Amino acid sequence: MKIKAQVAMVMNLDKCIGCHTCSITCKNVWTNREGAEYMYFNNVETKPGIGYPKDWENQEKWQGGWQVKDGELSLRTGSKLERILKLFYHPRQPELLDYYEPWTYDYETLIHSGRKNHQPVARPRSLITQKRMEIQWGPNWEDDLAGGESARQDYNLKHMGIDITLEFQDIFMKYLPRNCNHCLNPACVAACPSGAIYKRDEDGVVLVSQDVCRGWRHCIPACPYKKVYYNWKTNKAEKCTFCYPRLENGLPTVCTDTCVGRIRYLGIILYDADAVFSTAKTADEKNIYPNLLDVIKDPSSAEVQAAARAEGISEAVIKAAEISPVYKIIKGWKLALPLHPEYRTLPMVWYIPPLSPIIKATEDKVYLPDSESMRIPLEYLATIFSAGDVGVIKKTLQRLLDMRAVMRQKEIDAAPPKNLEFELGEYEKMYRLLGIAKYADRIKLPAGLQGKTHEQLRELQGSTGYACPGGCC
Amino acid sequence: MNEIFFGALPYVAFTVLIVGTLYRYATNTRTWTTKSSQFLAKDSLKIAGPMFHLGLAMAFGGHVIGILIPKFLTDSAGIDEHLYHIIALAGGIPAGILFFVGFFLLMQRRFGNPRMKVNTSKMDGWLYLILFFAIATGCLATTLNATGILGDFNYRETISVWFRSLLIFQPDISVMENVPLIFKCHLLCALALITIFPFTRLVHCLSFPFEIFFRNSIIYRRK
Repeated sequence: MKIKAQVAMVMNLDKCIGCHTCSITCKNVWTNREGAEYMYFNNVETKPGIGYPKDWENQEKWQGGWQVKDGELSLRTGSKLERILKLFYHPRQPELLDYYEPWTYDYETLIHSGRKNHQPVARPRSLITQKRMEIQWGPNWEDDLAGGESARQDYNLKHMGIDITLEFQDIFMKYLPRNCNHCLNPACVAACPSGAIYKRDEDGVVLVSQDVCRGWRHCIPACPYKKVYYNWKTNKAEKCTFCYPRLENGLPTVCTDTCVGRIRYLGIILYDADAVFSTAKTADEKNIYPNLLDVIKDPSSAEVQAAARAEGISEAVIKAAEISPVYKIIKGWKLALPLHPEYRTLPMVWYIPPLSPIIKATEDKVYLPDSESMRIPLEYLATIFSAGDVGVIKKTLQRLLDMRAVMRQKEIDAAPPKNLEFELGEYEKMYRLLGIAKYADRIKLPAGLQGKTHEQLRELQGSTGYACPGGCC
Repeated sequence: MNEIFFGALPYVAFTVLIVGTLYRYATNTRTWTTKSSQFLAKDSLKIAGPMFHLGLAMAFGGHVIGILIPKFLTDSAGIDEHLYHIIALAGGIPAGILFFVGFFLLMQRRFGNPRMKVNTSKMDGWLYLILFFAIATGCLATTLNATGILGDFNYRETISVWFRSLLIFQPDISVMENVPLIFKCHLLCALALITIFPFTRLVHCLSFPFEIFFRNSIIYRRK
């Protein structure tokens, strides 16, 4: 057992209101530069929909992630030799229009226009060519289904072989905020020809070294979530950094900090690095999720803690892992699921699947419906979160329903519901963490993730961030 | 004049190449990239990109063989002059076609697509100009030589001998006296390319990722 620490995130989709505050604050901090205008390290998609970039879930098209072939785990993008040949032209790399052409408006005309019969307008102008352009598509073109034109093109629906109606009584939607998953088995890291992408040992954050990146761009098709981007100005790859300068100081990522719905939870998990490959290699893709839970170790076990200390993990990190809200949600209550586990990258951003309004037909008969009679088809959630295993979704949603039932019975002073999975007190804790938890309960990060001692930190005092006082050496 | 062109200039060019490349690598690796433009214009790269690079690799290989392998070695291997030139042209003609057509298609793409402007610097412009002359003079020189218009000129007894004499720091300029002008022009283009190499996008060829075959798939790094 080789224990490593990982900063993991959980998003409670029931509480996402689709306000895009995470995307915008992230953009303002990280990607409001030339060459990066089109990038959204974090974006919020409306599902069903084709997403950003278009159709990113269609791995037959992009060949992202990993596959198991003859019992061996390999990148879907090709063997090492094939990848060398693709240096000159990569048939699976998305291009600008798969995202959208970034634009601005001629705001100047609003101020400098002469006196006219009609109000002056600010027409769109491409940020790439600086020429006038027609806006065809944007980063959030299908917000709230947007007429539903592209909703039916959702790859998950095609994969399930079902069509959906867009009739008002049957229609459904949910939001899916996405940033880099900082996977345990990242395909982008494996695909990088230059070895520029690495996973940080201390906190599992996946980063691109801008000095080592040579712009071979193989990470971009290899990431099945399409969360590595090509900067057309610097000609290097960029991606979500999990706001590592903030993490290092015990602060959450910007998207977590600013989330209006308070859907994001951030904390430490301890995992067994030796078990990563065997888990990614799991023969039946439906078993990847349960096996991934086994990779995550119980931080309160003495054995795990001893193994963590043997790897040099600091006491602060072990302490944070013990009180980690994400561990509780992911493994304690099994409420959160990985996004598309079948990509075999073992993502570390987890999602609590959403309950949804019940369909009209059953509405007047019950207070809380069965998970089957809700608007979002279980099969649809299963294609996204559990490699098609409907049973997992059903159980997960049932826990959320049980929690509501328990809290309601408490309120109306009735006997608690039968056949509960956990003790009554657990549901109360669940309710507190999912429903009303404060900032400090949702985010438990240790300060000093780099493992610096107090002595080392004190040396930095007064150095304004330079390596030595005065910054001369 | 010959002393400057064939005795001094090559050393200047190679010094700039080596020192400049090391300096850029040491001080400015952040700009060291392929400058890939596939993101901006994908379809037009599909044939042109691989074609150009294949032609370039073949042409480069041909130059290495023609210049670095002395004539007496191929003679003693039983390859006479006639056979040698058949082999050289069998490789050289396809290389030249791939290289030139690939280059033409890439330029058409670069200057025909308005998006490509953001990927084209002023230095790129100079590079393409020199590259064009280098390919054009190279193809022309080979054609003229192969068709016998240049008389019984043999670059393996002149240019190759001179180049190898450069490598041992005893430049033999006398063999260059009767080299036809077109070959001299080609040489000059080559020296210009070598000189500007460290300051252009060409440096990406030095980063060809052989390490992909040797490294672990997942890299962990400590801060």
